[in-house]
This record gives sequence, structure tokens and C-alpha cells, in this order.
Amino acid sequence: MMPTFFPLASLAPELLIALAALGLLLLGAWRGERAAWIVAEAAIAALGIAAVMLVMRKGGVGARTFFHGAFVDDAFARFMQALSLVGGAVSLLLSFDWMRRRGIGAFEYPVLVLLATLGMMVLAAAGDLIALYVGLELMSLALYVAAAFDRDDGRATEAGLKYFMLGALSSGMLLYGASLIYGFAGSTAFDDIARAAQGHVSLGLAFGVAFLLAGLAFKISAAPFHMWTPDVYEGAPTPVTAFFASAPKMAAMAALVRVTTTAFPGAAADWRQIVVFVSILSMAIGGFGALGQRNFKRLMAYSSIGHMGFALVGLAAGSQAGVQGVLVYMAIYLAMTLGTFAAILLMRRGGAYVESIDDLAGLSKTDPATATFLTLLMFSLAGVPPLAGFFAKYYVFTAAIQAGLFSLATVGVLLSVVSAVYYLRIVKLMWFDEPKAAFDAGARAPRWTLALATAVVGLFFLLPAPLVDAALAAARALLPA
Amino acid sequence: MYQAIVFLPLLGALLGEPVGLRAGARAAEILTTGLLLLCAALSWAAFFQVGYGAQAHALVVPVAQWLKVGDLDVSWALRIDALTATMLVVVTSVSGLVHLYSIGYMAEDPSRPRFFSYLSLFTFAMLMLVTADNLVQMFFGWEGVGLASYLLIGFWYEKPSANAAAIKAFVVNRVGDFGFALGIFLVFALTKSVSFDAIFAAAPGLAGKSVHAFGMDVDALTLACLLLFMGAMGKSAQFLLHTWLPDAMEGPTPVSALIHAATMVTAGVFMVARLSPLFAHAPAALGFVTAVGATTALFAATVGLVQNDIKRVIAYSTCSQLGYMFVALGVGAYGVGIFHLFTHAFFKALLFLGAGSVIHAMHHEQDMRNMGGLRTKIPLTFWAMTVGTLALTGFPFTAGYYSKDAIIEAAYAGQGWTATYGFLCTVVAAGLTSFYSWRLVFMTFFGEPRAFGAHAHDDHAHGDDAHAHEPHESPATMLVPLALLSLGALAAGFAFHGAFVAPGAEAFWKGSIADMSGAVDAMEKVPGFVSLLPTLMMVGGFLVAYAMYVMRPGSADALAKAMPLAYRFLLNKWYFDELYDFLFVRPAFWLGRLFWKGGDGRIIDGFGPDGVSSEVLAVSGRVVRLQSGYVYHYAFAMMLGIAAIITWYLFMGVR
Amino acid sequence: MPSLVSDYLPLLIFVALAGVIAVVLLAAPFALAFKNPDPEKLSAYECGFNPFDDARMKFDVRFYLVSLLFIVFDLEVAFLFPWAVSFHRVGLAGFWSMMAFLGVLTIGFVYEWRKGALEWD
Repeated sequence: MMPTFFPLASLAPELLIALAALGLLLLGAWRGERAAWIVAEAAIAALGIAAVMLVMRKGGVGARTFFHGAFVDDAFARFMQALSLVGGAVSLLLSFDWMRRRGIGAFEYPVLVLLATLGMMVLAAAGDLIALYVGLELMSLALYVAAAFDRDDGRATEAGLKYFMLGALSSGMLLYGASLIYGFAGSTAFDDIARAAQGHVSLGLAFGVAFLLAGLAFKISAAPFHMWTPDVYEGAPTPVTAFFASAPKMAAMAALVRVTTTAFPGAAADWRQIVVFVSILSMAIGGFGALGQRNFKRLMAYSSIGHMGFALVGLAAGSQAGVQGVLVYMAIYLAMTLGTFAAILLMRRGGAYVESIDDLAGLSKTDPATATFLTLLMFSLAGVPPLAGFFAKYYVFTAAIQAGLFSLATVGVLLSVVSAVYYLRIVKLMWFDEPKAAFDAGARAPRWTLALATAVVGLFFLLPAPLVDAALAAARALLPA
Repeated sequence: MYQAIVFLPLLGALLGEPVGLRAGARAAEILTTGLLLLCAALSWAAFFQVGYGAQAHALVVPVAQWLKVGDLDVSWALRIDALTATMLVVVTSVSGLVHLYSIGYMAEDPSRPRFFSYLSLFTFAMLMLVTADNLVQMFFGWEGVGLASYLLIGFWYEKPSANAAAIKAFVVNRVGDFGFALGIFLVFALTKSVSFDAIFAAAPGLAGKSVHAFGMDVDALTLACLLLFMGAMGKSAQFLLHTWLPDAMEGPTPVSALIHAATMVTAGVFMVARLSPLFAHAPAALGFVTAVGATTALFAATVGLVQNDIKRVIAYSTCSQLGYMFVALGVGAYGVGIFHLFTHAFFKALLFLGAGSVIHAMHHEQDMRNMGGLRTKIPLTFWAMTVGTLALTGFPFTAGYYSKDAIIEAAYAGQGWTATYGFLCTVVAAGLTSFYSWRLVFMTFFGEPRAFGAHAHDDHAHGDDAHAHEPHESPATMLVPLALLSLGALAAGFAFHGAFVAPGAEAFWKGSIADMSGAVDAMEKVPGFVSLLPTLMMVGGFLVAYAMYVMRPGSADALAKAMPLAYRFLLNKWYFDELYDFLFVRPAFWLGRLFWKGGDGRIIDGFGPDGVSSEVLAVSGRVVRLQSGYVYHYAFAMMLGIAAIITWYLFMGVR
Repeated sequence: MPSLVSDYLPLLIFVALAGVIAVVLLAAPFALAFKNPDPEKLSAYECGFNPFDDARMKFDVRFYLVSLLFIVFDLEVAFLFPWAVSFHRVGLAGFWSMMAFLGVLTIGFVYEWRKGALEWD
């Protein structure tokens, strides 16, 4: 009975992360702050090993479900789990230097990242509303604490509190939607819901979908559920913001895509309206909101809102190509955002971290390498060919056009022009403005992260096949056609 | 050899500036001038080879295929026949001498390499024009000389008046070029070709055909010729499109001599002569050519009577002489027109360069009222100017005597009322020409010196103060061209009269211009008084000028006071500039301002870049203001969002 | 669907009745009660004393910590009851699942103990 019920081998990555979190918590509890760095390094190792395990398993096995369908192990789940793990590992790596300089030697942070990542893995693999909620809450609770982790900093605690309160509200919405769906469909399992939601969709079920999507949209910071994002991004410690901007988005987007495509394939016309609405509003707010920002982290908050809007364009298409586009977009966004936050962590002058984009003025003269990398990332975020950001947008817009969503694609392209303005303004600041004093010498981890992310973004066009093929395989797992 | 003639100046133009930068202005001067003089020598060789040789047909030297679109087949090719050879000689000779002259005249200018590059560029374009084998290539040269003219008029770009004059020349020429282009289109539409040989072959078949335009049936060939002639009117500064030429005198004097006297302005004459096989089949168009030419000849001469700027007098004289050439073309005596072009090039270049020498001597003083008595100070210049004036006024056996008298005879012998009108105008203009030419000489070289140095050294200060306030004779580089041109002014008519216009001139032209034997034969039969008339007018003009400016100085002012209206009318050039200002310039500015402020500023920028950017910023501001920082605002926004979606479902319904 | 709704009809009546009774009880004193206010009657009452200071004072944060920990273990017990009742049905898998749950909870307990959350000082 045991082997069938509890597939140890198949859940090895999740179990690894879970046991690592528990074990490291105990280690930290016994050894105290002395163990902080060991805990952090072990956490990164666990995340890395789990990611490798996922990638190795690629293609080897088809889709399998466990726990009565609550947990799905398919190419899609593995793809998004791998992205989440990479996001967690890299942002944890980026936090080392920051923690050391801030004098925070707490071992809890890596454990929190591990727990949040475990939640993400469950979220990405959830095949049931209850599993989805459990994963979401495991992720969110860890994130709430992480946001306020620098508890002596007023902004950080404010960010944590805001995030917690609004997150609770969104969880409530999601639960309300889930209960409506359960009430009208009679099941929490996605495939049962899909059977119930065929043909005519009742209004109650549609309401349930709306609330469920609202709850998930909150997690990917899509408008109009984005309001927490700028404040939390700005207030939270920068490595934590890097984590927020990368990993949870992957998992929440995975859940959003999986719920819509597997639980409600028959109600596509209904949820598509929501997705289009959310997508356009996100692109618009992301584009217009960032224009007035001087704080780089806040600007990146709006940037992420906008990018989620672009990614949702692919979901709105609702096709295999659309889902593939979303996955490619998320992967490229992960690289771009981690690289950019690495650059933000390099912005240190006179021993203190600075966050205003005006501090970047004339960076090309004081630190040409960083300026070049960041310029490429900004161009990529703006979607300038031949950088990866262009292909990300290309895939989702192509899918939208194939699906006949011409007006959405047009609006999206126009709004991408608006968003290009503020990315290019940063480039202009770096290359054409009077230089300010040089930044302090940066730590190794952010420098390498920045260079690596730039390499990924800049050289994607040379070898797009691995990512695009993997995304196609993942999309095929959800939508056969 | 022909390629060398055409492309050596281009080489000089391209190399002038770099050489000037590396090796100094002097190297650039020597390079461009040397190339041009080489060109001139080659041209004279070509002239004798083609004009007096046995080759019966035009020699076409292909250079390259240019473009081939459907029926339109345009090739670069050099068409060398007697007409082209004549123009080659004129262009390269005058250009070479002007280059040489400029070495002295421009000696103090800081950007001489640029000047010489422009001069060579102009020469190249002009040669492209005269060697054109088809209308499109001719248009290329046509616009090329227009560009060079623009650059050279505005050479002293620090002077606002020079810039204004350059723009004016360019814009007025556009009006003519518009007609020229339309003419080319029409010719192409009629003959399906732009190549001269094909057009001329098709021309007889086109006579009498008509096109439907603006609700009227118009004779096709006449319309085409009139449109083409419109281009000629612009380039050759004919009546109504003449206003740019006097203003073009803002350019350096050698430029005036080369472009605005000897070569470019004669492009219109050349064009009509080149297309004479076409014009020959459009008598109405020829009549129009005569009328315009005659009007210009008379009109410009009247204005020339009262001008005080030495260069402007010569400029109006040029305008007037171009009118003569058109009269000759209009009455069918094409060779006579080209002959006058040929001789005029020498003596008008001489006059301009002489005037330049005077101006040089006077330290860039151009107002004749401030000159006087220069005869003894700059005797060589004086003699050169005198020779030029004799030739211009048609003193017996000088160049002008042969060509101008031939025109008046041809006009008398011509058919129709336009020819009669042309005859009357040219005869009167001959007298006026004599008057204003001698007036110029007398005011400049005779009488008492007036106000030396009062106005000298305004903006081109001479470096050596030793002779700063004394008129001084020009250097040899300026005097040698004067001497050579004097020779031409004296002998060109005598030497080439027989070949160009005498009966049997077909042997020279060899079909490069339309048959003009009828006109030449008629010229031979004119009564004797007609031949004497121009000489009489010349003498009369001379005597009046002598009386008014030498015997009784001041009588001119008295006459001006006695007839203030007429005087002001002439002094203000018949108020053409004011009229155009009122009719075209101001409405154009008004329209431009309307489109700029209203169309571009308010509509395009307002709804385009400016509007979008300000609107984006406004939207951005609103989006940012939403971000109040209060948790309950955020929660409220989320609620609004979900409420909006729910409401959408409620009212739009689920599928 | 109509049957589903009609099943809930008694509940609806019950809720409505509760509301009516509450409103009646609230409104009745205004209509029926004898009113004779004086300052002593209107003053705040606290164990026979006048209030010393504002009721909204700060608590020691440790109270919260203890209450949070109490909730966690309270829920654990609430979770254990149905598990225990259905123990013979959930089988070995149910047993080990609960053991894993308790294990995780124990690790959390160890952590809080080591961090000193259970000590008042």
C-alpha cells in the first residue's frame, strides 16, 4: 500500500526541500546564529539539487498524479518548479552579501525561502483546489515573514504588514471562489470540475472562477490586484524583493495557467474575458505607473506588473502556442529580473545601498561593465531585438494573433512602447548623464549573476531551442492540441 | 578625351577640400585650376575636331546604364556634336579663366578650398548638362548647376543677404524646373522616350496632335515646348522669373562671371537650341519664346539704366542679352542665338571680372556713386572694361557687333507679329544697352574721385594697410584672364561668324540644331538700314551717356528729379519684387505658418508626439496617485476590480 | 437546484427568527423600560473602582506569542480528535500521515523552545 500511496522517488525534489527546511531549522535552532551561513549554503545546495533532479527527469516520464489527483507530476509542473527553484536559489545567493553588510545573521531566512519554494512546488503541481490552496498559503506565509525580515527597518515591517493584510484578503477571495466552484461543480479536483463545467456555465461557477482568478492574480501582481506590489517591492529588503519578483510569480502563474486550462477548458470564453481585462490593465498600469518613478525597486515593481500583463496575453490566447508563450515569457522574465536585481544590489555608495535610478547617472564611465550589462537587460525588458525580451513578447503576441485577439495584441504592442520609455531612460541616464561618484566594489555573487543573466538574455537568440522545446513539451502536457 | 573633359572637374571638386585641408589652400587652387585649364585645352581640341571635322553625326559616348523601368530607359552618355562642342569651349574656357582669376580675387578668403571645389562642381554639372544625351540626364545637370549656384551665391553664408539671395535663386528656379519636369513627363508620354535621338525622330509625327488637359484640347507639341521653355525661363532669368538673377550678385564676383553671366544662365538658351528640332514643329511656342525674350531684353535694359550697384547693372545687362538670344531662337535663327551665347560669354565674363577687379581695387565697394576717376589708378582694368563695353554695345567688328546685329536682322526677317515685336524691342534695347554700359564706364572711370575709402573695409578688411585706402591694380592672376577674355571679346565674333551664322553654317552645325537656312537666307535680304540701325543706336546711347555723365555731371540727377515716377519705377525694377512678395511670398509664408503652427504644431505634434507624451505623463501621474500607501485603498481597489468582473458577468452574461 | 434551496428553507426561517428576536429585545427597553439616569449610573464600571487609565493600553508582546502557540497546538488537538475516532478506517497510511504531521509540529516546537519563546524572561 505504501509504495503506491507514497511515491518517494517521484516526489524526491519536494521531499528534499521539505526535509532540508526541517533539518536546517533544527540545525539553526541548536547552533544559533553561528550556523547562519552553513544553513544558507545548504539551502542553496538543496534548491540546486532539486532543480537538477527536475531537469534530469525531463521527458523521462509522462504525466502522473498522486494523492488522488491532488498532485500532478507532468512536464508543465516540472518546468515551472524548476523556474521557481532557480529563482529561489539565485535570490538566496544574492542575499548573502546583503545580509552580511546589514549585520543580519539569521538562519531563518534561508529556511523561509525553502518553505516558500516548497509551497511554490506544490502550487505548480496542484491538481486540486485544496492542494492549490495549501501550496499557496505555505508560499505566502513564508513570504509575509520574509518581507518584514529586516524587522528594524520601518519600511520593511510596513511592507510585510501590508503584504500580509492584502494577501489575507486575496486568500479570502480565492477561498470564496474555490468554495463557489466546489458548490457548483461538486468537486475540488480539476478534472472533475472540467467535466462539470462543460457546455453552459452557470453564473455561480463563473463567479467562482472570477474570485479564484482574482486570488491568483494577486500573487502574480496583475492589475487591479497589484496595489501591494510597489510598496512591498520598495520596502522589503532588496534580496527579498528579488525573490518576490522571481520565484512566486512562476508558481502563481503556473497555478493560474493550470486552473484555467485544465479545470475550465469548457469555460474558456468566460475566463478569457477576465484574463484579457487583467492583461490590458496590467500592461497599462505597468507602463504608465513606472514613468514617474525614481526608485529603481519601485520601478521594477511596475515593470513586473507590466510583464505579467504581457505574459497573460499568451494565456488569453488559450492555445497550446499561447501557453508555450507564457512559459517562455516567464523563463526569460526570470533571467531579466534576477539580473536587474543583481545590478540593484551592486548600487552601493559609501557603504550604503542606494536605490534611486538617478544614482546610476554616468555609470558607463565609472563602471562600464555593469553599465553594459544593465543596458542589455533594460533593452531586453523593453523588448528590443535580438535580445530575449523581444522573443518573449514575440511568442505571446504571435499566439494572441493566431487566436484572433488582434485588438489585445495591438494594445499590448502600443503599451510596450510606453514601457520602453522608462527602460530607455535608465539607459540614457547611464550613458549620457554626468557621472556621479563610483559605486563601491561589488560582491562576487551579484556581479556573476548580472553577467550570467545578461549572457542568457543576450545569447538566447543563438540557442533558443532548449527553452522553447521544453516550454512546448510543458504546454503539451496541459493542452494536447 | 570627352570623359576626361566632363569628369576632370568632378575630380577637382572632390579633391579640392581634402587637398585644401592637408596641403593648404594654395594646393587646392592649383589643382582645380590646373584640371580646369586642361579641360579647356581638351575642349578647344574637341571643338575644332567636331565643328570643322568630317564627322557627320553626333558622337555618343556611353558611360553607364542609369535606370530602366518599363519604357523608361535612361543611360549616362555623352552626346558630342557641334552644339555641345561649342558649349564645352564656352564653359571650360570661362571656367578655367575664372578659376585662375579667383586665385587672385579670393586671396584673402579663409575657405578658398571650398570655393574652388564648388566652382569645379559647378563646372562638372554644367558639362553634364551640355553633354546630356537625354532629357533626364540634362535635368540632372540642370539641377546640379542649380545646386552649385545655390552654394556659391550663399558662399559667404555669414551674410543674411547672401543666404536670402541663395534661397531666392533656388526657389525661383524651382518654379521653372517644375515646368521643365512636367515638360519631360509630357515628352515621355508622347514619344515613350527621353533620348534626344528618339524624340527628334518622333517630333514631326507629333505635329498637330493634341492632348486633353484642364478641359481643353491643347496642341501637344506646343504644350510640351512651352513647359520646357518654362524651365529655360527660370534658369535663364527671363521676364517674370528674372528676379533671382540681380540678387544672385551677392555671391563672389567670379561666381557672377562664371555662373550668372557666361554659363549657367545660358543653359536655358542651350536647352531650347538643343531641343530646336522639337521647337521647330511648334511655331506657337517659338512665338512665345520670341515675345518673352524681347520683353526681357527691353525690360532689363530699362532697369539697368538707373542701377547704381556696378554688378547689378551688369546683371540686368545679362538678363537683357539673354532676351536677345531667345529672340534669335524664337525666330528660328538657332545658330545666331548660340553665336550670341558664345560671344556674350566672353565679353560678359570680361565685364564681370573687370567689375570684380574694380571692386577689388575699391576694397569691396560696389556702389558706382562712390567711384569715379579710376581710369588712371587701374589702367589695365579700365582698358579691359572698355573692350568689354565695346563688345557688349556692338562696336563694329567686335564680338557683339556680329552676334547682336545678326539677331536684330534675324528678328526683322522673321515671320509674324512676335518677330516684329522682337525687332522693335531689341533695337530700342540696343540703344539702352549702349547708354547704361557707357554710363557704367563713365561713372566708374571718369570724372572726379568720389568718397575714396569712405565705405571701404566694411567686412573684408585687407591685411596690408600700406595701400589700404588707395585703389590698386589687381595681381597678375586676375589680369591674365582679363587679357585673354578681352582678346575673345574682340575676336570671337570676327573669327567664328562665318562658321556659326553665315550661309552654309549647316556645315558647321551638322544637324545638331534644327535647320535654320530659311532664317539665315532671310537675314541676307534685309534692307541696309536694318544692319545700320543697331550701330546708330549704339552711337546714340554713347552720346547721351557722354553728355549726361562726362560733359555735364549732375544732369542725370536732374532728370531723375524731373521724372520722379518713372525714375522710381525703374529703380525699383518695375516693382516686381514687391509684387511677388505680395502675390506669392506672403501668402506662402502665411500658408507655411498655418501648416507649421496649426497643422504641424497643433494637430500633428499636438495629437502626435507632444500630445502623446504629455498625455502619457498625465496618465502616469494619475496611476501613481492611485498608489496612496493606505492599505484600505489597496483593498478597495482589489474589491473594485473583482466587482467590475462580477458586474461584467452579471450584465454581459456568461456564455 | 430548487430542491437544494428548499432544503435550506428552515435555516432561513431560523435566521430570520433570530434576527427578529434580537431586534425586538433591543427595541423593547426603549419603549418599556423605566428611565431615571443619574451620574453614578452612567459612569464606567470596573470592579467597583473608577477606571485607572485608558483601556487601550499596550500589552506585552509575549502574550501574543503565547496565544499564537496555544492556537497552533489547540488546532493540533482539534485535528487529532477526528483522526482518532476514524483511526481504524484510515489505516497505515493515515497513521503515518499523522505521524509526519506531528513530526513537523514537533520540529516547530523544538525551534520555539530553543529560541526561548516559552520562557517569560
